[in-house]
Amino acid sequence: MITFDSVTKRYPDGFVAVDNLSMEAETGQIAVLVGPSGCGKTTTLRMINRMIDASEGRILLDGADVKEIDPPTLRRGIGYVIQQAGLFPHRKIVDNVATVPYLLGWDRKKARDRAMELLERVGLDPKMAQRYPFQLSGGQQQRVGVARALAADPPVLLMDEPFSAVDPIVRTSLQDELLRLQSELNKTIVFVTHDIDEAIKLGDRVAVLRVGGRLAQFADPKTLLSEPADDFVREFLGKDRGIRRLSFVSSEHLRLRTDLIVPASSPDTAAAPGAWLMAVSEDGRPVGWVGRDEPFGTYVHGKDSMRAALDAALLSPSGQAVAVDPEGRAVGIATRQALDEALGEAADG
Amino acid sequence: MDDEQPLFKWSWVESNWNSDSPNSIVNLLQAHIVMSMAPVVLGLLLALPLGLACVRWRYLYQPTAAVMNVIYALPSLPLFMLLIPQTGLTQLTVIIPLTFYALAVLVPAVVDGMGSVPDHVRQSAVAMGFTPLRRLVLVELPIAVPVVLAGLRVVTVSSISLVSVGALIGQGGLGNLFTDAFQRDFYTPAIAGIVLIVLLALVGDGIVLAAQRLLTPWVRARRAS
Repeated sequence: MITFDSVTKRYPDGFVAVDNLSMEAETGQIAVLVGPSGCGKTTTLRMINRMIDASEGRILLDGADVKEIDPPTLRRGIGYVIQQAGLFPHRKIVDNVATVPYLLGWDRKKARDRAMELLERVGLDPKMAQRYPFQLSGGQQQRVGVARALAADPPVLLMDEPFSAVDPIVRTSLQDELLRLQSELNKTIVFVTHDIDEAIKLGDRVAVLRVGGRLAQFADPKTLLSEPADDFVREFLGKDRGIRRLSFVSSEHLRLRTDLIVPASSPDTAAAPGAWLMAVSEDGRPVGWVGRDEPFGTYVHGKDSMRAALDAALLSPSGQAVAVDPEGRAVGIATRQALDEALGEAADG
Repeated sequence: MDDEQPLFKWSWVESNWNSDSPNSIVNLLQAHIVMSMAPVVLGLLLALPLGLACVRWRYLYQPTAAVMNVIYALPSLPLFMLLIPQTGLTQLTVIIPLTFYALAVLVPAVVDGMGSVPDHVRQSAVAMGFTPLRRLVLVELPIAVPVVLAGLRVVTVSSISLVSVGALIGQGGLGNLFTDAFQRDFYTPAIAGIVLIVLLALVGDGIVLAAQRLLTPWVRARRAS
């Protein structure tokens, strides 16, 4: 656990970057620091590994004051991922990943084996190991950055806008990858971003900071979206706060109609005249609307959120979403009426 | 000059190639190599701490660069005059000014080389727990190598060429062949000297280039990508 106890960073010229911050990043969780530029989020992050020293207050790492620990020793026990990856251009990828093990005096072979294992873990081809950073794309470099931060298996990971320099598609896959890794590794992660969507997607808890380094709200994403503490937080969350809150509402309560699903081999249209019927193949997969050459959208029932179900419904002129199980077999149709009911319940909270 | 005399007489080269005389071509070549390479090595050894000090204490850089430039602008002849009372007509009198010339190029090269280390790379080295000394030796200096070696190539070639000025005080290495030629109105030694100096410069440049290839395989990786 990382504890900020009334931490202030004041520069000699009087500028206050972080103002009396108190918060806790729970062990095994992702705490996101989010806010506009100048809100002190990177300063806050760097005070944890003492790249910047706090002027007042204490920062405790599992109860130990970081001020008591010699900075290089402290830092070798904390993984760090920086925006442009910060890879060493003169070292091969494998040696970049093995950097901290080398510093800790591991045997060279053991350090390299560990690096290879991590490259695989972050989804990189082992062939990349012998290349230099310049030969990799931005997204691949960022994966190497994550592997390098994990190399000595530190319990704590600090991530400073790690995915903001890559394009949106790569960013999404890196975010998904981080969540997957985190579900396996359970690190204590402090993640800095200026992107509220990223904060809500990744954070178990999100700290919204305002300019001047003051904490506006520290809450889980669902609470943040439904109960913003003040106008600043509300504005920072953006206009589609309501829609995004649906990301945290499960689709499991959607009432499904199974009678609208018919086999593609012998579609029986007589049962529900005029209705949109979904034809399914022999193995149960949806193939298309009966008699209508129109698109359809699917969501995984009970696993995806209401937002995904609504999105699937809006993809089709029918206004209906096709519910599938994790194997992709159709389990029912969520009609407009069913969606309407579920949205009504979601709005009631 | 006799119109019948050829511009270049091989027989002169043959008889002067390797004799006991201190002015044999081989001896002059040796002296040339010593006098041109000593300033390069000394310059590099001095430029590293000086350049690093200028990086560490930024305010030192402007005055240091100014002094270096003034020295670079001074013609070597008055420098020789200044040094002769202390060092006499020795190789040292040639080596010292050339070392200053080397410094004038290499100190900025070290400063620029350190400046070529991207900030995010330096930051991540700090964040991973490098001590300042290890960061310098293992991260910053290796990344600075291509810029420093670019400066070293210039210095190597110009040093080889500049040594010949030492002929003014009888210590010009192959440059001594020029004075010899002009005094006797006999051009063979001058031509031999020019050819050998150019060859020496090419070899010197090639050695630095080879060192660069060996030390920085990653630079080629960057160019290829």
